[in-house]
This record gives sequence, C-alpha cells and structure tokens, in this order.
Amino acid sequence: MAWITKNSAGMKIPRRSEPYLTEALKSELTRTILPRYETRRGALLPTLHAVQHEWGWIPWQALEEVAAFLNVAPAEAWDTASFYEEFWLQPKGTNVIAVCRSIACEVCDHKKITQACKEKLGIEVGETTDDGKFTLVELECLGLCEGAPACLVNEDMHMCATPESITKAIDQAKNAPSHGHGHHH
Amino acid sequence: MSTWTRKTDYPILTRRIPCWPFGDPKGRRTISIDEYMKPPAEMGWDTRAGTLAGYESLRKAITTYSPDELVEVVKKANLRGRGGAGFPAGMKWSFLPKPDANGDGGQRYLAINADESEPASFKDRLLMDFDPHLVLEGIAIACYACRIQTAYFYIRGEYHHQAKVMENAIREAYARGIFGKQGLLQGAKTKNRDQAWAVDVHLHRGAGAYICGEETGLLESIEGKRGWPRNKPPFPAIKGLFGRPTIINNVETLAHVPSVVEMGPEWFAGQGCNSSFQGAPPSWGTKLMGVSGHVNRPGVFECDLGIPLRVLIEGKDYCQGMRGGKKFKGAIAGGISMGVLGPDQMDAEMDFDIGRKYNVLGLGTACPTVFDEDTDMVAVARNIARFYKHESCGQCTPCREGSGWLYQLLCKIERGDAKSKDLDLALEVATSMGTMPGTTICGLADGNNWAVRTIMNKYPVEFEARVKRTYVQVGLTVGVG
Ligand SMILES: Cc1cc2nc3c(=O)[nH]c(=O)nc-3n(C[C@H](O)[C@H](O)[C@H](O)COP(=O)(O)O)c2cc1C
Ligand code: SF4
Ligand code: FES
Repeated sequence: MAWITKNSAGMKIPRRSEPYLTEALKSELTRTILPRYETRRGALLPTLHAVQHEWGWIPWQALEEVAAFLNVAPAEAWDTASFYEEFWLQPKGTNVIAVCRSIACEVCDHKKITQACKEKLGIEVGETTDDGKFTLVELECLGLCEGAPACLVNEDMHMCATPESITKAIDQAKNAPSHGHGHHH
Repeated sequence: MSTWTRKTDYPILTRRIPCWPFGDPKGRRTISIDEYMKPPAEMGWDTRAGTLAGYESLRKAITTYSPDELVEVVKKANLRGRGGAGFPAGMKWSFLPKPDANGDGGQRYLAINADESEPASFKDRLLMDFDPHLVLEGIAIACYACRIQTAYFYIRGEYHHQAKVMENAIREAYARGIFGKQGLLQGAKTKNRDQAWAVDVHLHRGAGAYICGEETGLLESIEGKRGWPRNKPPFPAIKGLFGRPTIINNVETLAHVPSVVEMGPEWFAGQGCNSSFQGAPPSWGTKLMGVSGHVNRPGVFECDLGIPLRVLIEGKDYCQGMRGGKKFKGAIAGGISMGVLGPDQMDAEMDFDIGRKYNVLGLGTACPTVFDEDTDMVAVARNIARFYKHESCGQCTPCREGSGWLYQLLCKIERGDAKSKDLDLALEVATSMGTMPGTTICGLADGNNWAVRTIMNKYPVEFEARVKRTYVQVGLTVGVG
C-alpha cells in the first residue's frame, strides 16, 4: 500500500506583491457588507464570494488576506472556504459548465449531456481545457428539475438541455467577450 | 381517474405568476414593486384571495394587530412549514422568549431558508424568480410578529439569477421605505405601543452545500463557518444566530403570510384538507408542488394540500399524464429524503399525513420526481445514495461512514457483483442512521435512511434480481451461486 504524505509545514505558497483583497474591495466590503453582521467573521462568505468574483478563484494568499481583514485565523478562513463546493481554491476555467447529475436529471438522461460536453471540450468531468477557457463539472441538483436534464453555463440556467443545445451554449460562451468573472492569469 | 375535485379554484400564491392549473407559465415575468403595489383588480390579477394592494397586508398586520395577536392569527391558521418538516409556523414563532418589560429584548433574527437544495425540489425558485415582493412582505410581517429587526435571506449559491432578483427587490423595498431604520412602511405607527418597527433584510448567498439548508447548518453558514448542524437543544428560537433567539422559515411558508393576514385563518382553513388522523394538525392551504421526471408537462403547480398524486400526474390541468404513455412505476414523495411512493401508491394524497399513510418520511417539499416503467430503481437508489455520501457534513460517524458504505454497496449491487446478504447489510446500514434511531445530529441521515430503505422495500424484486444468491445452511455461508 502506498503512503500519502502531507507536508503542510513545507507547503510552497505562491505569493505575489499586489494583494488580491485590494483596498477598493476592502472599502466596498467595509461600507456594504460588514455592517450587516454582528461579528466580522459573519462577512466571511460574502467576502469569499467577492474575491472569487474578482479573480475567478481564491488563492491561498487571498485567504490569508481575507483572514487578516476579518480578524480570523487563516486556518479558520481555510476551514470555511474548503467546506463549500462553490469556492474554487484552485484556478478554474474562464467558463464553468455544470451538468446536474441528481435524480430528476439522471432519469431524464443527463449522461448524454455530460458526454456531449466531454466530446465538445475534449476533457473529462473535473478537468479544465488546456487553453483555460472551460472547466466541466457535474453537480448535485441545481433546482431546475422541471427542465431536466439541466445545466448551469456560468451563471445562466440551461434547461431541457440536448447535446445540440449545450454544444451551442458552449460555443456562445467561448465567443462571449466576458461574463463577469475576470480571470487574471 | 379519481373523483377528487379541487377546492380552491383560484390562485393564491401564484396570482401574479401565471401557473398551472390557473394560468399558462408562458406569460411570466418578474413583478416590480410598482406593479406589486397596485391593487390586484387594476392589474387584472385574481381578487378572490384578497383585494389589497401589495404591502397593504403588511399595513393591516402592523396597524390592527399587536405582535402577539398576529402570532395568534398565524397559529389559528395552522400554517405549516413548507420547507420540509411541516411544523406550524405560528407555534414556532410563539417559542421565542418574551422580550423583557421595557420591550427591549436585544437582537433576534429571522433566517429565511431559500437554500432549496433537496434534489427534485424547485418550488421556492418560482416565488423568487417572479414575485419577490410577496416573499418580502411575508418576511416583514413575520419580523413584526416576532419582534425581529434583522432578517437574513439565505439563498443557495447556484441561484445566481434569483439572488439578483431578490437583491434588486430588497433595494426597491428600501427605496420605498418599507424596510430601513425609519420603521416598516415609512415609519408607520404600529399597534405595538404606537411605535414604528424597523426591519433590515440582508441577502446572504450560500456556496454549494446542501447541509446549509438544515436550519442550524444555515445559521453556522451565516456566521461565516462551515455549515455544520448544531446539536439541539438549545433550539434556535432560544439560542440561534450569533447566540440570539432566531426563527427559521422557508420561503413559501412566509409567502403565505400576507394572504393569511388579509383573509384570516377561517379563509385559510377553506383550502387544503383536514387530517384523517384524530388530533393531528390539519393540512390547510395550498402548496406549490413541483413535478419533474417522466411526465408530459413538468413544472410547478399550486394545489390544495391533499391532491392525489394521480391527479397531479394525469390531470389535464396538471402534468397531463406519463410521458410517452408509459406506466407509472413510482415517484419520489417530495424531495428525495422522503423516500418513494411505490407502483401501488399513485393515489396517495399529497398532504401532511402522507408519511403515516404511505410509509414515507413525510410530504417534504411536495416536489415529486415521477418514474416510468423503464426506470432502473437500483440506479435510482445508487444516485440518491451518492448524493448523501457527497453531502454528509461528516460530523456524525453513522452518517459519514454509513453514507459512503451504502453508496459502495449500491454500486456493487448495480454492477451485479453483490450477494444477497449485501442487501440485508445495506438495509441494516440504512436503518441504523438518523435522528430517529437517535444516532446523528441532523436529519440528513434520516433522509438517506428513508430514501434507500423505501426504494429497497418497495422494489425488492429488482434488487434481488441483481444479486447472486447466498446459500446459507444453519447460519453458515456455504456457497455462492
Ligand atoms: C439536511 C436538511 C436539509 C434541509 N434543506 C432545506 C432547504 O433547502 N430549504 C428549506 O426550507 N428547508 C430545509 N430543511 C428544513 C429546515 O431544517 C427547516 O425545517 C425549515 O427551513 C423550516 O422552515 P418551515 O418551518 O417554514 O418549513 C432541511 C432540513 C434538513 C435536515
Ligand atoms: S447527520 Fe450527517 S449531515 Fe447531519 S450533522 Fe450528522 S454528519 Fe452532518
Ligand atoms: S435533479 Fe437536476 S436540477 Fe434537480
């Protein structure tokens, strides 16, 4: 049996000199979000959402900055961030295609939708295309069950999907200039 | 076809949102605050569920009732929670501690549960998409009744569009002075010692975790933590968000409140049905039911509680029958956690008695996924088991380990690699997890238990056909055939 070794102490954290949690973001959050919560930590989810919205994902350095901003330990920020599936702690593609795999969609043949995405993008579920443009995931029920099989193309609901409709949606996303998630490499 | 006829021949929750059986969804759009605040007659909306313009039920609530009187109204209406458990909202509200003598009991919170992540459930989305102010009016009334000043609208992360609609509606309502520090409705004098009552509403987005729909997981998530459900007691009404008394209600539950206030509990009792069990609370009111799966016309329907599943599936005003004329094989009772209704249970009445009558966990979200005769129920069980394995928060051993074990067993059964004793093992694992056997903190494990167990029990032949028989002699396994 193989060993899995974890080397937290020696973990290399890529760093850069400019902060991810910019002064502009901080002042926006201080003005609009912090007053909503009784504790600073209460603002953690909205802050993580804001960081992810800005950068497309949440780098470790950003987590440290968020932790300092909200007076929590970096481990606590990590603890929360890693719990939620929607927070990306590794870079993802500019566009995310999420195919629902839960019950209504499975019995309405979600498999052919996933298959069409795989073929179109040339990747497996959980992978990102080499050009960094697309990530393909399968998620649990998206709450769009009357339109099974259903997907999310970035933030847009895509219901009653067919291999043709999802292929077309991918093409449209590819050609769209930007959909709001600035992904700065 | 059963002889059931609907009692309520007009839309209540959906009167501004064309919705079957009353209207065609094609004409749906989001209702702005300007439209919402017009008298329904002027807008061409049905007036049988009330003639008051939007936010006038709120005015009626705060000017004619004290908070305690309002709680009594909702209690009398027996408005049962629409989020899954069916707990009467008025009763829940009355559990809040009384504020101290000078009326200042410190902060209390309302958390609106818009997490809607239970697979097969999508009915709250309709209200958020198209009639956000109805939900906000219900929230405002609930806050006054419970003497709450801050409400958090907890919406699942995947509802991007709905979060924008709600955020915009909240902004509109603030701009009109409905919420904000001047007090509800531009600081209108309330019957509560003649003082205005100020309410703030904040949208809080989740980030893809089913467990945050569990009420205490939801509170943890608002506090910026992982959504680990809390041990109860203390119940949130005593010690909830930030350690303060907190009420958690589902979106649809709150959306019922404005019409209950306008029309009164007696009117509310005219919809839905009574319980057929002596002493059990009634199933009054209408309910949004979201049907998905193998039907001709899936969607959200506003129905009297008590509508037979058969009518919902076959009725021409409802789903218009099974897709491709196939035979009915079964249906998720209402969100996968409730378990399945079997092939002989199509006449099940969709009300809060359904659990006791049809051997499912309960009505849940009243969102059935319908399966036709070609559906592989072993695959259904495997799909569902995967969901719980994926979503278990990992705090309790029976749930964390049991859900993974069940999933593996079901995969093995599906592949045809299992032996018949694996069926017993799967049932045993399922049965041993949940708050009802008392082994876990929250109800996620009960959902897993009921979902897997009812499928295995109601379709035994399908499971047996997939396994190799184990020959047992005097308790000893002697061979596998
Ligand atoms: C695992 C789990 C998930 C739940 N998810 C939801 C949900 O997404 N939405 C909801 O309204 N209630 C959900 N509930 C039920 C809530 O805990 C709670 O009973 C409900 O929000 C109370 O509101 P109500 O009384 O108005 O129905 C869930 C419960 C459990 C155990
Ligand atoms: S029952 Fe499962 S989901 Fe609920 S608290 Fe325990 S481990 Fe978490
Ligand atoms: S099961 Fe796929 S959206 Fe609900």
